[in-house]
Parts: sequence; C-alpha cells; structure tokens
Amino acid sequence: MAAIGGTVAQEHCGGFSFENCKRNAILEKMGAKMPTARKTGTTICGIVFKDGVILGADTRATEDTIVADKNCSKIHYIAPNIYCCGAGTAADTEYVTNLISSHIQLHSLSTGRQARIVTALRMLKQLLFRYKGYISAALVLGGVDLNGPTLHTVYPHGSTDKLPYVTMGSGSLAAMSVFESHYKPDMELEDAKKLVRDAIAAGIFNDLGSGSNIDLCVITKEGTQYLRPYDVANEKGVRQGKYLYKRGTTAILTKDVKPIVMEVTETRVEAMEM
Amino acid sequence: MFLTRSEYDRGVNTFSPEGRLFQVEYAIEAIKLGSTAIGIQTSEGVVLAVEKRITSPLMEPASVEKIVEIDSHVGCAMSGLIADSRTMVDKARVEAQNHWFTYNEQMSVESVTQAVSTLRLSLEMTTAEKELCRPFGVALLFGGVDVKGPQLYHLDPSGTFFQYDAKAIGSGSEGAQQALEEVYHKSMTLREACKSSLTILKQVMEEKLNATNVELGTATPDKKFRMFTKEEIETLYKRSNNYNSVQTNRNTLWHLVFIK
Amino acid sequence: MNSERPVQQYFSPYTFNGGTVLAVAGEDFSVIAADTRLSQGFAIHTRDSSKDVQTLCGKTNSTVLGCAGFHGDCLTLTKLITARLQMYEHEHGSKMSCPAIAQMLSTVLYYRRFFPYYTYNILAGLDNEGKGCVFSFDPVGSYERETYRAGGSASALLQPLLDNQIGFKNQQGATEVPLTKDKAVFLVKDVFTAAAERDIYTGDAVIISVITKDGVTEEAFPLRRD
Repeated sequence: MAAIGGTVAQEHCGGFSFENCKRNAILEKMGAKMPTARKTGTTICGIVFKDGVILGADTRATEDTIVADKNCSKIHYIAPNIYCCGAGTAADTEYVTNLISSHIQLHSLSTGRQARIVTALRMLKQLLFRYKGYISAALVLGGVDLNGPTLHTVYPHGSTDKLPYVTMGSGSLAAMSVFESHYKPDMELEDAKKLVRDAIAAGIFNDLGSGSNIDLCVITKEGTQYLRPYDVANEKGVRQGKYLYKRGTTAILTKDVKPIVMEVTETRVEAMEM
Repeated sequence: MFLTRSEYDRGVNTFSPEGRLFQVEYAIEAIKLGSTAIGIQTSEGVVLAVEKRITSPLMEPASVEKIVEIDSHVGCAMSGLIADSRTMVDKARVEAQNHWFTYNEQMSVESVTQAVSTLRLSLEMTTAEKELCRPFGVALLFGGVDVKGPQLYHLDPSGTFFQYDAKAIGSGSEGAQQALEEVYHKSMTLREACKSSLTILKQVMEEKLNATNVELGTATPDKKFRMFTKEEIETLYKRSNNYNSVQTNRNTLWHLVFIK
Repeated sequence: MNSERPVQQYFSPYTFNGGTVLAVAGEDFSVIAADTRLSQGFAIHTRDSSKDVQTLCGKTNSTVLGCAGFHGDCLTLTKLITARLQMYEHEHGSKMSCPAIAQMLSTVLYYRRFFPYYTYNILAGLDNEGKGCVFSFDPVGSYERETYRAGGSASALLQPLLDNQIGFKNQQGATEVPLTKDKAVFLVKDVFTAAAERDIYTGDAVIISVITKDGVTEEAFPLRRD
C-alpha cells in the first residue's frame, strides 16, 4: 500500500481493528455518547416442509424509535442451496453472512462439492463464539444438501439449535406462537408458505421492531426461489392532499456564474482510403 | 325584638329555642352603628360611596379608608367595625389574585363575594372553640365589573349575600335605601348614580357633607376600579348641589331619615 | 470480591407509552388529533386507546386536551383536570374558557416541578372571542398559545411539515391563504399517515376532533398497523 507523507493508510488483513477502544472508553467516561448501531428489530423464521425449507423475514430496520429502512433485505445468500436470515445489528448480520458466504464458496471450489449447511453452521458459530457475543448477529440458517432439508438457529454467543421450525429476533415470540399452533410435519409447499407468511405477519403486527413487507426464500432440492416481496402486509396510506410546489418556491440565496474554461481542440475527420 | 334574650345569646354556635342565632343578629345590629355606605349599579358601571366620620378636627381624614380596592376591577365599601373588615379584604384580595394566577382571568364579583362569605362561615363554625370567636361586625358592598358587566353585591355578618341594583348600609341605611328606591331606575347613567349617591349621603349624614368626609369610587368596564380624588368629589358635589336644589322631594327625604 | 459493599438500587417511576398529539387552530375552529396506539418498548398494549384525547367540556365552549407520554400520568392528569373543571363550574357558575383551562393546566403541571407528570399536553378549543386556539405545554408547565403544534412521540417528524404547510415556512412567494376546516383535517390525516411510516410508536388509527362553536365532532381514521 502507498505510504503518503509518513502516515500509512494501511488496509487491514483479517480481524477487527481495536485501536480506538482505549480512546473511546476514556471519551465515554468523560461523558461522550457513543453512536448507536442500526438494529434490525426483526422477525425472522424458517420451517422444514415436505420438499425443503422456507425462510421468512420482515423488512423493517430501525434506529431507536425511527424506521431507518422500510424495505431492507434480511434473508442473506450463503450458497445457492443455503440462505441465512439475520437479526441484530444490521452491519454484523450483513458482514458475518458475507464472510461465511465467501468462505463457503472457496471451500466448495477446493472440494469440488456442493456446500453443506453444517459447514456454514460450524463456521458461523466458531466466528461468533470467538467474539463473545460482541458481534450481535442472531441467525436462522437453512438449506438443502445431501442430508436433505436442514434448519438451524445461531445465537450471538455461538450456540446453535437444529429444529423443524425456528424463529428469531424481537418478533420471535409472536412468530413462534403461530408455528406452535399450526405447524405440522411434511407440509405441502403452499401451506408451508402461508404458515411462514402468517408467522412473519404476527411479528410485523405485534412487534414494533418489525414491519413493512414479508420476504420468503423457498429452498428445495430443485432450486431456490427468492420471493421479495412475497406479501405486502401493510398498504401505505394514501395521501389526500397534493404537495407540489410552484416553480421558484425555493429561495435562491446567492448566485455566482463561473464560465467553464475549455480547451478547444479541432478535430478533422477524413475518409479512410480503402 | 330582644325579649327572648337569654343565655342563648352568648355562643355563636348555639341556636336559641326559637331557632335564632343572637350573636349574628347583634352583629347585624352593629352595622347600624357604622357610617353609611351606598352602592349603585348602573349599566355603565358601579359607584360606591361612603361617609367618613371625622370625630376630631385633629384627625387626618385621608387615613380613614372605607372603600378599598380588591383587584383592578373590584372595589369594596364597608360599614361597621372597620377593623374586622381587614381580614376579609385580605381574603378577597388573595382569592382574586389566586384566581388570576390559576385561570389567567379576572375573578367575577360574585365569586369574590362568595369567597369572603365562606370565610365568615369558617370563622363561625370551625374555630368556634376559640374564646374570642364572634361574627364579623362589618357589612361589605362589593362593586366591580366582570364578564356579566357591572355588578354590586352586599354581604352581611351572617355570610348571606345578595346582588343589588342599589344598596345602602350603616346608620343611615334605612333612609338611604328608601331614597335609593325612589331615585333608582334601570337607565340611570353612572354620572347620575354618582350624583345621587352624594345627594343621599348628604341627606343622611349628621355632619355637613364636603369633599373630605366622603369617599367615592367607581368601577367601569374601561377604567376598571378607581377612587375619586378630592377635587373630583368637589366638582361632582357642586353640580349635584345645584341639581339637588331643584328636587322637590328633598324635604320629605329629610323627614324620613328622622322618624327612624 | 467485596460483597459487603452497599449497592444502590434504582427505581424508575416512569415509562414511555408513545403517542403523538397534534392540534391546529383556524379562524373559527380548531382541530386536535392523536393516534390510538399505546405501547411500551417493542410491544403494543392496545390499538384503540381513546384516552389520549379527552373532551373536557360539554356542549358549549368546548375544549379538548391531547395527552401523550406516560399513560399513567395522562390518566391521572386528565382526571384531575376534569375534576377541577367541575369544581370551577360549581364555584363560579360558568364553564371554563379554553385560555383559563390552559393557565390552570400550567399551574397544575408546575406544582409538580420536581416530580413532574411525564406528559406532553396540547390543548385545543375556542377563545373568548370565538377564535380557534391551541396551547402547547412542556411537562413542567411552560406554555404558549400557537396556531399549530405537534407533541409526543413523532412531534419532531410532524412539526417541520406543519411549519411548511400551515406556517408557509421556507416557501418563497407562497400565497398565505387562510386555513380551511377541510384542509386542516386532510392535512392532519396526511401527516399522521407519514408519521406512521417512520415512527414505530405511531400507528393503528388517529382520532380527529374538530371544535367549532356548535361543539365537537370526532372522526377516526385508520393508519398502518405494523
């Protein structure tokens, strides 16, 4: 990397930079407020059905009490046959899944085989365990491999579960209540999709951290269907007034015209001799 | 009237077998020893006028204060034991200020009167155990302007209060009230009312009326409550004197006063 | 580890239950609106809490109080104010005017200067001349008469929009037409629709009260429920 005037703009190679930790701790002691990360107060879930797995997620991202993104994507790609829903700090879920995705890609290239869910699972839990929960990513990992449809949850500290139906995030209780009352083993595709939709909708309506639309990801042996959006749970309210402004409504405070100096080069096009 | 006077006339909280509260009745009698005070309510405003008894030429007339301001829009004239009025005037002033503080509006004249009347009741009732407790020996005339327009209220030692078009209290009250009843009419102007109040005071006063032995105050919607200066009383008095001389019933009025 | 060390325990007597209130004063009317969602943390307690807006007076000379913040304090405060209105009517023989209620509310709030009611209050009604009036309060009784005001959870989202649409702020050469009742009502609906998009504590429905000399009319308008 290039060294500019003595300071080195060095690119990190692996791992986090902790160089500001000490400074930030002192600043915090002095009363400075640390910025808050964008959290996806979220409802995510997944079920195993007859032919594969279905993952579901809402699309709201919040910053404290304000909706930061009304249509964010929470179902992340790991491999063509593996997807992963993320809840927690938006950046953490994004980076953790991307990182594992690239590792899985490299792994399947070097082995020449389709990636397995357990491989992704092990990579994820080892990464998260290493960071003692400071990487706040709560995940639902699902896919289909040679062992058939598989579904896991991964908690921020690195513990995992393997279950036929799972939920995560702030709306997990609402979603789980739907699964607990309606889940049946070996469901048909349409019934399974409807059940996941209902579970996410329960989170959307009853949990303030979740909202907007319902995304689904159906993974079967035959392939993957990413449905975004699968359903719009809430129609946006229709405005009654018109809010168009007349031309010239915005005040011009100062005006300064600067001519663009251009060097004019003459070009002549001549027919080529054939 | 006092034939049934007995041991029942001692406590303020003891009814006589006939159902009377003698102490309260005596207090009402005490008013009749006081100097005369008159209040007239017209559509333009209220006038309050009182006589001041200057018992000695060495007395400073300005120190006798029988009309006081309660709030910028309410005045109060009194007759009876003036010392007793202090507590009540204080109460009225505090209540008026408290009302303004709490509601950002001026207290109605009725509410001011009401507030003071509760003081009379509470002193009679709750502190009855106290040795020297007795009804207040003073009657008050509250005159002021509020949302309903000019208002005049009379409050007596029993705590009872009524609204009046015109009311006289004190030693000359009987004659003055009769005179008021004759003079008063609904379309009376404030100026007429001021003149009449002085005329009637003059008729019922033992001393000769002049600018120093009467007090006069008015409450109007635009100028609120204000006291007349000595000079203003003088000019008013001169005019009413001329006006008075053409009045035919003047002698009959004098007559009425003396038969009392 | 020294287990002998004293430990200080904390108790917070307040919670925030969300809710947004908004009032607009017109020439001879005023409009006050509040959403009906009552929540705590990430949970919704109820979707139709009509307690946020309380009609204070009867048929003549109506005033409506909008109250957001800690619901327990909202309930106590509105109850207290209602009782005080009744007492006033008994004592003085007339209904309290909107400006009088405003002053009284201020004294009630300031009385609790050091243990305040955690409420954002907005009062709407007609003044003594019959003109629309809106009073806004901070939790400890500072108040001001205004022509439009948003309070509570999404106040920071609504106020700039009102500034622009009713106050004609940041609009060069805009013709400042007087606000009509219909425009006020649809503006209120639109700003609440917008607030429900971005504020997680605003939603479900908005109750809009229109106050004129003939009394109060109430209307409910649905919002997003997520």
